[in-house]
Amino acid sequence: MPMNSLIDVGLSHYLALSAALFAIGMLGVLMRRNVIVMMMSIELMLNAVNLTFIAFSRFRDNMDGQAMVFFVMTIAAAEAAVGLALAVTIFKRFREVNIRYFEHLKG
Amino acid sequence: MPQIQLGLGVDSTETIINVIKMFALFLLMVQLVPLLVWVERRGSAFIQNRYGPNRVGPLGLLQLLADAVKFLFKEEFRPKKGVAFMYYFAPIMALLPGALSFASIPLSVPITLQGENWGPYNFVLQGYDLGIGIVFILGISSLGVYSLLMAGWGSSNKYSLMGALRASAQAISYELALSLSLVGILMVYGTFSFTEIVAQQQGPLTFNFMGQQQVWSFLPNWGIFYQPLGALLFFAATFAEANRLPFDLPEAEGELVAGFHTEYAGFKLLMFYIGEYGHMLVASCLLATFYFGGYNIPGVTPAEVTAFFASYVGEGNLSQILTAVTYHVSLLLRVLLFLWVFIHVRWTLPRFRYDQLMDLGWKTMLPWALFNACATAVILWLFQS
Amino acid sequence: MTLTAQDLLFYILGGLSLASALGVLLMTNPIYSALCLALTMVSLAGLYASMQAWFVAGVQLIVYAGAVMVLFVMVLMLFDLKSEIKAFSRGAVAGFMKLVAVGLMTGAFLAAIYNSADTLLGTSLAAHVDGTVSTKALAQLLFGKYVFAFEAMGVLLLIIAIGAVALSRIEGGTHADE
Repeated sequence: MPMNSLIDVGLSHYLALSAALFAIGMLGVLMRRNVIVMMMSIELMLNAVNLTFIAFSRFRDNMDGQAMVFFVMTIAAAEAAVGLALAVTIFKRFREVNIRYFEHLKG
Repeated sequence: MPQIQLGLGVDSTETIINVIKMFALFLLMVQLVPLLVWVERRGSAFIQNRYGPNRVGPLGLLQLLADAVKFLFKEEFRPKKGVAFMYYFAPIMALLPGALSFASIPLSVPITLQGENWGPYNFVLQGYDLGIGIVFILGISSLGVYSLLMAGWGSSNKYSLMGALRASAQAISYELALSLSLVGILMVYGTFSFTEIVAQQQGPLTFNFMGQQQVWSFLPNWGIFYQPLGALLFFAATFAEANRLPFDLPEAEGELVAGFHTEYAGFKLLMFYIGEYGHMLVASCLLATFYFGGYNIPGVTPAEVTAFFASYVGEGNLSQILTAVTYHVSLLLRVLLFLWVFIHVRWTLPRFRYDQLMDLGWKTMLPWALFNACATAVILWLFQS
Repeated sequence: MTLTAQDLLFYILGGLSLASALGVLLMTNPIYSALCLALTMVSLAGLYASMQAWFVAGVQLIVYAGAVMVLFVMVLMLFDLKSEIKAFSRGAVAGFMKLVAVGLMTGAFLAAIYNSADTLLGTSLAAHVDGTVSTKALAQLLFGKYVFAFEAMGVLLLIIAIGAVALSRIEGGTHADE
């Protein structure tokens, strides 16, 4: 029985993979201190969500999931553009992109 | 034991033939490179009066042999402060986009083979038909940037790094114009599949004008007559994507020694060249497929060609194979012509300056590509309503 | 019990994406993190393709692997950051708490998936869909049902483009820091 449920890959397998990717991305946001790496971890989390959408769309035979992925991708690209512009600005000021320099931004 | 189904064919014979086909396509791409190097070196020798390629041996062919020996026996070398993994992986990565995208282009009409006691096998002369060929090729070729970036970073050399950064900025900028110039083609043909695009370009020029069907029998039904501006933009953008002159800023000799492959020699350099020629080959194939009728021969249909061969060798497998070969040669002639143009542009045009390159990409080609897409949409709507 | 191409691809690409995602987390040099993330994106595109979301897979390659990640790698190469000494956040207690929190969340997710396995597995599975057909259906959805959201995305992208230009032009361009 366990062999069978391992070989016949179903919706649960994709969801589990997506949960694992999401956890790794969340750990990256919490643990890393480089702003750019943190942004990349957020991208990873968004991708995990996309995987869930696609898996549901496939196994429920419903195209709406794929349409949602487009919106998530657009948001992710926008986030990357603004985030990188901010990181470049921070880097020009401090020659470093560590998250603690963002404290100096106030005032 | 679990059963394994891979979807490569109905039985093992078809699966094996499909796997062999993949290798053959890769080898086809690699085998075209010596020919192109020869054309390139001999052409440049004539244009710039160089010694060597137009004097060594019959037709300068011995220069090719000398090049091969030099590539194989060069000393193995790696920059000590570089990153070994990236340094060695970059040339391999350079081969991937060209090989993968070349395999998704249909090279000839499909063949149906049938014998007395083996069932009908249907072979498409194409690595794989994904149905979304255009999107696939755009996606795969956008991965080519990583090879340059890894080469630049792995070499630990500032000229390499500058070349790699230039290359990636250029690739991203021109990809926009490239994709937008294809939007017109997508609207005209209404499909992403290469096979369907080629099928729609058969026969004489046919279009709807004011609700009436017009047939211009003196012209073939090629994409270039629907999308002349798109074809021009696509052609120009592919030069930038393949990092060829006049857009070869990533390896501008006068400024960056040799750009991202400064630290490469011998066989690894050759792999970069194969990647570049693969890019050119894919670009030429796409140009032929989108704008010049693919493998179609103007004036005849595949059925007529098969009937013609059948009158000599009889109905059956041989006439099918002969038809496929004829159509493949028809595509190959166009592709070789475009490759020749690619090579000769390199030796006739001067290089752009970097700001001119960016201006051309963002301020000229991108607006024109947008205009082309909008104009195509409006014209299609007017003509078909 | 048949092992189809999709099942095989799930294990190969899923393993690859997990390994490279771990690489993003653990590599101390941000450039390697970025390259690992690019590999994750490519393997996810493969997973989408194996689930017959052809067009989404292509867009994933073009947008994520081809544009967003190249931008990340380019910016990191321009910064020329070496391997960081303080790549991870300080504090053993806080770090442990974070690990526990993420572990609990993932555990909750997995438990939910495991418990709902019976209801999820009973779903219908469409037959092989051709790329052209599914792309057409997707386009009809995007330009029909979701057309307002789609247009709003266009406006958002325009605003973002202007914002990014405005941000990076402060103090006169990329190279004017002295």
